[in-house]
Amino acid sequence: MNRHATELLSRFYLWWSRLTAMTIKELLQLGRDRFLIFAIIFLFTIDILMTGNVRMELSHATVIVNDADHSEASRELIYRFRPPYFKLGGEILDGREGFWLLDQGQALMVLNIPPKFQHDLVQGKPTNVQILVDTSNPMLGPLAASYSSQIIGQYGFDAALQRMGVTEKSLENVPMLVDQHRVWYNPNQNDQWFIPLSELLTVITILAIMLPAAAAVREKERGTMEQLIVSPLTSLQILLPKVISMTLVILLGTAVSLFLVLEPVFHIPIKGSLPLFFAVTALYTVATSGLGLYIATMSRNLAQAAMLAILILMPMIFLSGAWTPPEAMPAGLRQAMYLSPLYYFIEMGYGILLKGAGLDILWDELLGLTLLGIVVFSFGVWRFRRQYR
Amino acid sequence: MNALRIKAIAYKEWREILRDRLFFALAFVVPASLMLVFGYGLSLDVEHIPFAVVDHDRSAMSRDYLHRFMDSRYFNYKGHVSSERELDPLLADSAIRFAIIIPPKFQENLLASRPVAVQSLIDGTFPFRTATSKGYVIAINAAFNGELLAGYISQRLGISLEQAAAMVQPVGVQIRYLYNQELKSVWSMASALMMFVLMITPPFLTALGVVREKENGSIYNIYASTVTRGEFLFGKLAPYVGISVINIIILWLMATLLFGAPFRGDPLFFFIASVIYVTCTTGIGLLVSLIVRTQIAAMMLTVVTTIVPSVLYSGLLVPIASMNPQAQIEAHLFPAMYYTDIALGSFLKGIGLEQLWGRVLALTIYAVALWMLSYLLFHKRPRS
Repeated sequence: MNRHATELLSRFYLWWSRLTAMTIKELLQLGRDRFLIFAIIFLFTIDILMTGNVRMELSHATVIVNDADHSEASRELIYRFRPPYFKLGGEILDGREGFWLLDQGQALMVLNIPPKFQHDLVQGKPTNVQILVDTSNPMLGPLAASYSSQIIGQYGFDAALQRMGVTEKSLENVPMLVDQHRVWYNPNQNDQWFIPLSELLTVITILAIMLPAAAAVREKERGTMEQLIVSPLTSLQILLPKVISMTLVILLGTAVSLFLVLEPVFHIPIKGSLPLFFAVTALYTVATSGLGLYIATMSRNLAQAAMLAILILMPMIFLSGAWTPPEAMPAGLRQAMYLSPLYYFIEMGYGILLKGAGLDILWDELLGLTLLGIVVFSFGVWRFRRQYR
Repeated sequence: MNALRIKAIAYKEWREILRDRLFFALAFVVPASLMLVFGYGLSLDVEHIPFAVVDHDRSAMSRDYLHRFMDSRYFNYKGHVSSERELDPLLADSAIRFAIIIPPKFQENLLASRPVAVQSLIDGTFPFRTATSKGYVIAINAAFNGELLAGYISQRLGISLEQAAAMVQPVGVQIRYLYNQELKSVWSMASALMMFVLMITPPFLTALGVVREKENGSIYNIYASTVTRGEFLFGKLAPYVGISVINIIILWLMATLLFGAPFRGDPLFFFIASVIYVTCTTGIGLLVSLIVRTQIAAMMLTVVTTIVPSVLYSGLLVPIASMNPQAQIEAHLFPAMYYTDIALGSFLKGIGLEQLWGRVLALTIYAVALWMLSYLLFHKRPRS
């Protein structure tokens, strides 16, 4: 009994020491490639820092005015198109000039105010203001249209109340809905909380797929894989160290990026549990690296692996819910989204950091990621084993 | 420069690509599949926002008000809950992204001509979606308010409801959506996607080209031969540019025939501009390949120089105009931005060389600069 236990222990010790030896080998190999280290550090720091300058909110969009009335009323309306959303880009006299400026991309919107605007307003006659919006950008165009109709609607409403002699005080005796919206989790809708974090998740995904895939294919291409195969190492002992070493690198990078960039520079609130976040990141990296191993078994050289990697990566990054609203996706793709590990990671990443959600809320996503990870990872290992044994 | 030697190098590279069947297939499959997946899947339309309701009033009027949200295609009704506290876990779990809370005495107050505050909670995790949802909420509320007020005035002044409505909302808005009348994202997307796919795939095709020879040692054949630096680089690049040119045509056909995106510009102009653009992007791959020593490093450096800027600085998702000055400068450093303008202009706006010559010039300069840089960085007598 005792002998049996020691034998088991020594076998475990052997297994373990082989695993650590291989992991150290992978880390050393990674550390000796200066350009690779540079690329990884760049991705986790400067790259994420740069994304902080990017805005998706309508900000200082140029409005060109074609004012045919030149009255007090028209000036007051024009004056309402001001920063932060809009800025006035000048006045034109001819409608065609407006189209030209829109063609050039020098203006996002042209505001046409008809002649007799003030006259009609005072007389109580309905009048129409026309706006031309460049909607070639699917984000800004609709936002600009929505904001400007709000501005014009409010202006008309104010003008009507003024004409009817309704003052602030008597407004209390008018049936009205007062809109009180509150935005949760990111009250100021700060893009710097969203885009850099989404970039971090993207970087993790790219590295988690590409690094293990490249590490495995490189051995194949150089023929060193044959050496490993004839050694006493099992398939798992060959593949697992690649995944473990890359996961360690990614976790370190994530910590650097979180504590040196996201928190101090962008003031992202870390509301939830950090250990949970890192545990989820580790689980995600291992799960996704299964995809990398799968790529490695399919390709004979790194060029193939790189092409296969972007074929898998790009749809994953874009269709997992950070950029495109999952609710609005076509049904087929929404089903496919549940097969993307990144979908669960985005839900949990934002959930933990911004929403402060814990396991009680995120357990279903965690379960989904775990199951998916087990399937993907064992599939990758199985393919590898079948190829070499 | 000897044309024969360039041809020989190009032919050798071409044979190498052709013999690697999987790689050759992927060179065409990857761009086309990315186009297909994104064309159908990359929709930025904010619709079907899941929401829940807390109705403390449960009156005819509150139901009427709520139905404006339920019947809208922008919202997706998920159910009533009895108190605000039950909303928290739903929002945290992303089961809903928006909630409306109707206060008690909603109907009573409105009928008694008193203002009523209606609260809405919006999930701010994804700011663009939040801004859009907020716009929908404000629009629905404004419409409801207009009707309330019109009813009130028509009662007070004894005029018809239409007259009262005109009084309440004297200024109408006519919005004309230019270039993309139906606000279909896929239309404007198709052209931007061409930019995107042609930004990502050509560098990855090329990136391993030279460094692979370095790793294998076959580069010494070149070092020892009479082939000059310029000839080698030209010959090396040619097959990849060729593949990318075929991809331009495939992608263009997909955009116009499959997605039905309108093409209003000059096809020849667009084609030439696209060829210059892919020369730039394959050039990026070549440059990366020359700098690094290992294939893995080449892969990761290509990620840094292509995927990241094409997502953020190309105008695909994030419009350049709304960036702050620093980000705008960063955007100008990458070729994607210029080509986005060319593609959008050619597809949606129908403008050509007359207005876009500056962008084409910028791309040309970019391509030449990349080539010069590669030339300077490539040595036949490597140090160390």
